[in-house]
Amino acid sequence: MAVYGTLEADRLALLVLALGAGSVALLAFGLAVPSPPALVGSFVGIAASWSLSAWTRGSGAPGGTILAAAGIFVAAELAYWSLEQASVPDEPELLARRAAGLALRAVGAVALVSFALAALGLNAGGGLLLEAVGAAAAVALLALVLLLARAGHETAER
Amino acid sequence: MTRYATPKLGAYVVLTALGLLASLIFARPELALIAVPFAVLLAVGLAYARQPDVRVHVELDSERVLEDDEITLEVELDARDSVARLELLVEVPRGLELVSGRNPVALRLEVGEERVLELRFRCARWGAYRLGDVHVRARDAAGLLAWEQTLDRAETLRVYPRPEQLRELVAPRETQLFTGNRVSRQKGEGLEFADLRPFAPGDRIRRINWRASARRGDLWVNEFHAERNADVIIFLDSFADARRGGTGTLDQAIRAAASLSERYLVGKDRVGFVNFGGVLNWLRPGTELLQRYRIVEALLNTEITLSYAWKEIDVLPRGTLPAKALVLALTPLLDDRAVSALLDLRARGFDLVVIEVSPLPFAEPAPGRSGELAFRLWKLLREGRRAEYERAGAPVVEWQEGTPLTAILEGVSASRRHAHARA
Repeated sequence: MAVYGTLEADRLALLVLALGAGSVALLAFGLAVPSPPALVGSFVGIAASWSLSAWTRGSGAPGGTILAAAGIFVAAELAYWSLEQASVPDEPELLARRAAGLALRAVGAVALVSFALAALGLNAGGGLLLEAVGAAAAVALLALVLLLARAGHETAER
Repeated sequence: MTRYATPKLGAYVVLTALGLLASLIFARPELALIAVPFAVLLAVGLAYARQPDVRVHVELDSERVLEDDEITLEVELDARDSVARLELLVEVPRGLELVSGRNPVALRLEVGEERVLELRFRCARWGAYRLGDVHVRARDAAGLLAWEQTLDRAETLRVYPRPEQLRELVAPRETQLFTGNRVSRQKGEGLEFADLRPFAPGDRIRRINWRASARRGDLWVNEFHAERNADVIIFLDSFADARRGGTGTLDQAIRAAASLSERYLVGKDRVGFVNFGGVLNWLRPGTELLQRYRIVEALLNTEITLSYAWKEIDVLPRGTLPAKALVLALTPLLDDRAVSALLDLRARGFDLVVIEVSPLPFAEPAPGRSGELAFRLWKLLREGRRAEYERAGAPVVEWQEGTPLTAILEGVSASRRHAHARA
């Protein structure tokens, strides 16, 4: 993703590369230690690197966005799977099943992003619809976090 | 079960929120698109996440085994609900080694599925263990939520020390009043011929030695040595232990104590046990199988407990050390309290034999000349202690790891016979 973003960038290629390489290093560190916060940081960095690359090409979602979104998602899934394997390895049967599930999710991500891209008819200016969706999603997420925190607290009390 | 959010859930929430907000702030659509798969996975994963219902049953194939034996632990899983990923960890105490099976293991269970996991362990060290505490962690299909529970399904496993082959035992100098297998110095009912004496009214006719009577022209009767039992006290010094790797002086001493107590009990002797260390415990002398089990149980609970309190032999209750008892002390001669207590026992007239479980194979000099010198001084100090026992009339025999105990006991018996002959 880091290399692809660098190659696609019209300018600031070195900055895109530095951001991407730093994120990859952080990802390697997060997997080796293992450290979930480092993983989050690395994916944020990779997404930022890709966005910077896209920004250098002007307005509108670039063609590689579908692959970039699916790629980051699959990388995140693999990273958290690796962390689980480090503590308790899967049985071979479970391993095969999870691999199939991951492939399905990757295909789903590609389809989803393509659909979103087509449905929203996105351009760099965004528009009211995108802003409304973003704001609603952010509020929903905050509510979800609060709900989970409360549920976890109740379980601990029981 | 305790439910909690996995790091993955937190990470995906953060990634989604950042993607959407950054998309709004910077007016970049690709950031929102990157967040979409994460958001969808969160929504779908949380909507379908349910607390799993799995019953776990643990069964051991044997509760009492000998060292180096293998046991099988069966973990039966009965899923009332499907579990996308179930992690299972059976807590294994030190002293048991996993031979076959996977621990921990992660597996998937369908609705109504029953699985039996077999774990085979080698009992590497004697002791009483609790085996079977199971830690269970289940995750939902998306890996966003997890449920954890520790199940107390432990069963007690007793691993008895493997007995040593003993050909000969140290014979006690004195016997007691009860019937046993030892030839007593006293005369009485028995099989071993002792002496001749003139006939006295009340003597049985079948005791008359007709040949001797004919030669002497008077009635003479045979006398026999009585067959009695003896009291044997196994004295275990558990103040200190020299260890390296998986073995140490305490392990050796425990094995020897178990073997000796078993053999003396088979010979109808009364056997008592004293564990003299940071924690003091004792068993009054007794006979039969029950006493054997009592001693082995006491041995299994033996451990080194650090203590600086000075202890003398007076702390033992009356009756624990009966008069004329043979005291077999198993000690690494590392702690002054045990050394002093044994000398005290000898001074009180007990028939004492010190089996020194040598710590030398487990010790090595510190690097450098001063280390070498300190090591030599330490060895000299040990020799001084041995000489102190010899002067007090108690034989000390050094038992190094790898030497059969029976050879050591034969050496003790021979030296006691020589000492008796000299006396």
